[in-house]
Amino acid sequence: MRERFVRVGNRCRESGRLHKRTSHGSLDGRADVLANLRGRRAEWWAPAGGRCWAIGLAIRTENLRKVYGKDAEGREVGLLDLSMEVEEGQIFGLVGPNGSGKTTTLKLLLGLIFPDSGGGEILGMKLGDPAYRERIGFLPEEPYYYDHLNAIELLRFYGGLFGMGGSALETRIKELLDLVGMWDRRYIRVRNYSRGMRQRVGVAQALINDPDLVFMDEPTSGLDPIGAMQMREVIINIRERGKTVFLCSHLLKEMEPLCDNVAILARGELRALGRVLDLLTTGDRFMVRAEGLTPEVVAKMSQGAQKTEQEAHLYTAYFETQAQALQSAQAVSEGGGRVLFLGPQRHTLEEVFIEKVGG
Amino acid sequence: MKSKNRRWVGWIIVLVLVVAIQPLSDRVNLDRLILGVNPPTPWTRILAAGGKDSKLAVTGVTGVIVGAVLGGFREVAASMLWMKSHELWDKGEGASVEALWVMRLTTLLDPHWLEPWRMTGWHLAYNLYVETDDPKLRAEFLQMGVDCLKEGISWNPDRYDLYFELGWTYFDKVRDFEEATKWLIASIQFPHPEFADRMIAHAFERQPDMPRALDWYDYCLKRNPTDGTATGATITIRERYMPAWRLMTEQRYDEALAAIEKWLQVEPNSQLGLHLKATILEKAGRLRDAYVVWKLAADTHALNAHAAAKVDELGVKLGISTPKSAQYIFRERQARQGRREMKVDIPME
Amino acid sequence: MRPIYRVAKATFHEAWRRRFLNGILVFAILIIGSSWVFAYLQPGAELKMIIDVSLGAIRFFGMLIAVFMGTRLIPDEIEKRTIHTILAKPVSRAQFLFGKYLGAAATILMNVALMGAAFLIVFAVKAPQFKAMTTESTMTMEFMSGNLVKAVILIFFELLVLLAIAVASSTVFSWIIASIFSFFVYFVGQMAEFFKQLANPERDISHAAQVLLATIYRLLPHFEIFDIREAIMKDQFMPWDVMGKIIVQGIAYTVIVMLVGYLFFNEREV
Repeated sequence: MRERFVRVGNRCRESGRLHKRTSHGSLDGRADVLANLRGRRAEWWAPAGGRCWAIGLAIRTENLRKVYGKDAEGREVGLLDLSMEVEEGQIFGLVGPNGSGKTTTLKLLLGLIFPDSGGGEILGMKLGDPAYRERIGFLPEEPYYYDHLNAIELLRFYGGLFGMGGSALETRIKELLDLVGMWDRRYIRVRNYSRGMRQRVGVAQALINDPDLVFMDEPTSGLDPIGAMQMREVIINIRERGKTVFLCSHLLKEMEPLCDNVAILARGELRALGRVLDLLTTGDRFMVRAEGLTPEVVAKMSQGAQKTEQEAHLYTAYFETQAQALQSAQAVSEGGGRVLFLGPQRHTLEEVFIEKVGG
Repeated sequence: MKSKNRRWVGWIIVLVLVVAIQPLSDRVNLDRLILGVNPPTPWTRILAAGGKDSKLAVTGVTGVIVGAVLGGFREVAASMLWMKSHELWDKGEGASVEALWVMRLTTLLDPHWLEPWRMTGWHLAYNLYVETDDPKLRAEFLQMGVDCLKEGISWNPDRYDLYFELGWTYFDKVRDFEEATKWLIASIQFPHPEFADRMIAHAFERQPDMPRALDWYDYCLKRNPTDGTATGATITIRERYMPAWRLMTEQRYDEALAAIEKWLQVEPNSQLGLHLKATILEKAGRLRDAYVVWKLAADTHALNAHAAAKVDELGVKLGISTPKSAQYIFRERQARQGRREMKVDIPME
Repeated sequence: MRPIYRVAKATFHEAWRRRFLNGILVFAILIIGSSWVFAYLQPGAELKMIIDVSLGAIRFFGMLIAVFMGTRLIPDEIEKRTIHTILAKPVSRAQFLFGKYLGAAATILMNVALMGAAFLIVFAVKAPQFKAMTTESTMTMEFMSGNLVKAVILIFFELLVLLAIAVASSTVFSWIIASIFSFFVYFVGQMAEFFKQLANPERDISHAAQVLLATIYRLLPHFEIFDIREAIMKDQFMPWDVMGKIIVQGIAYTVIVMLVGYLFFNEREV
């Protein structure tokens, strides 16, 4: 419980851009200079008592459209007029069920496929401009690589594509393999890799050029719980260093604690876009959950409640204000019951998702 | 979209390049033609053969296409077929005709391999020739053998082997020494063994054309002073035949006959002597006597088809009807039809 | 340029780890190494046999390598999605395509060089003995070794053109269709001269048919030009300027085909 609250708190601060950019001095004040130079839109945001940061857009799309055909009911299949903006320095999640157009979006942004209409910008450069590929990284879903190479050779190859070489590249490779925990296994050939090892090396290759924007397609799919946790740490670490991460996934449980902002796609259309916090805390209801109650206590607890629920021995009551909820909890406590939870009612991303997609 | 424009620019560049390399392509083809390194598959000939002879065309076209499908192994396929043809040939009888088709196919698959041309020509003019007693059929086989060699020459006009083979076929089988000298002379303009020069002299003395025979023997002796055959032949011709020849050219036919008769008493069956005697009699206009001498030559030498053909030739002039020899039929047909076979330019000096 | 080199290098290294390519090479070298045994099958034509079998093997197995490697260069990358990570890096599609092509070309160069070396060794060992047995008068040896080296060089350039056709067609078709297409073009290209003969204005065909046949002739790669077997059989000197023109024509055709391949690949969705 405690951890959860802490994390929520963290996210609040992070979405306010108060993370430790100052520790990476290079970003300090650089963004606005770059913003002016590249003529990119800059937003100024000043949290109370904080400093001013230039916030550029990592990704902007405008009516991006790619249609593959029509389904039996005559609806167009593909990506339909996607317009969205992703600011720099955050973890952005693109979520949606299978076939909703996530991978299509990703491929369009990477220039692997070409839009029917519409366009966009990545790091201030037009979609399809080869220049921005210098500054991005990409981890594909279920990545495969030249499987005759080992981890070192593979990273040397990818580094070479950026024109990197020499000791700088070797240092970078060591750094990355340490980061993803592959340094000990660096001489094993890719063909003998487990799914998780491929994913790890995939992350390393995506980061070889120290990109400003990293695209990741289903980064945790197929990983065991520990692997998934390490992957989340890596992703958060990237964001900590002031980079932008663009995630695609249908694993909502994993996206929820990770992302600052999400976009929900369904059938190629954007159904919701915004801060995870905003999406999850819809409405101002507070809830109290308790157990070990006598019927009298239940009646007291439910006083003024908008709604009550009972599941076996668990009772839940929803209130309009925090004061009412506190009162209810007080009643439970006095009646000898045990308060299990007291706080704002939170939807899970899954609930929001089902509501948005199903509706 | 701008990429559409780029696409069109790209296709236009492709088109320009395709047009631009054509002169180079033509130049390369011309160079190869000049060098004599031509495309090796005789497509048009195979198709042209289709009209005349469907069996050849079907076998040939199928075979060549299979050969092409084998890609680099066409020549190896030709080698394999060649061995197959030997096998068929050795079975004899009906199989030999089949063997000939296979041989023909071999020559199509690898027309620059000389052995199949030579062997096929030999099989036709020699081996099939003796399978029959019908002079007309024999003449047909001679024609096929000669045609085969001539086609081989048309594919390999700058190599000695087939010219010599054709010259030899005329010399030994057709016994048409005038044709033989032509092809033998053509053969020696390419690297050749020593006996080829001497063959020309032999062909001239059998025509007979003694001065030219002497010239060629002299040429042989100049090339190789130790050539025993040429030395001996020179002495014989000078001693025995040149006096008679000279008298003949001076139209003193009786003296010429006396001169040759002197040597014929020493060696009555000398073919050269009999040829010379008959020629003198022909020149003197004594055709009936010449006929008798040619007949004597033909009778004493079963293989002297030259004499046999002369007998037939004079027999027609004299109104004597005898069964004609294959060689006569062959020559007759060639004379009548002109050069019906492939046009081959004989490269003379 | 650097990405081209990197992609080419990776392609080259990967090719040497392909089992079927190694298998083809080993088999080809076995055949070439034993070509002198085949020679005994053809008394009187031993030299011809050893040359035909060996050059035939180099051409045939080189063709297999070029087509099967060429048609799988790009489709394999797309199928395994390795192309995604590469094209997401600062590598243009042109660089990627030409890098792959150059890597495959280097592989073919190595293969042809190995097969050619095996052939020349066998020939050097066996030729003196077979020369004495040969019946054809003009099988002299004056330009023989030079011509054999030239023949192997030309086979390499022939395979470069074929490789370009394989790679370019695989940007449009699946690799199986592309393989069939490449073989087809190769075989029809072997008889390009045939279309020229058919388009001959003296033949009794309609003008439209003539134009069509002539166009086919102009568009087809002329694989015949790489065949100098006749010069070998006649032991005739093959001038370097003609060699140069043939090679330039081969390279020009390769460039055209690769450009076409690029135009398709550039619009291909991966």
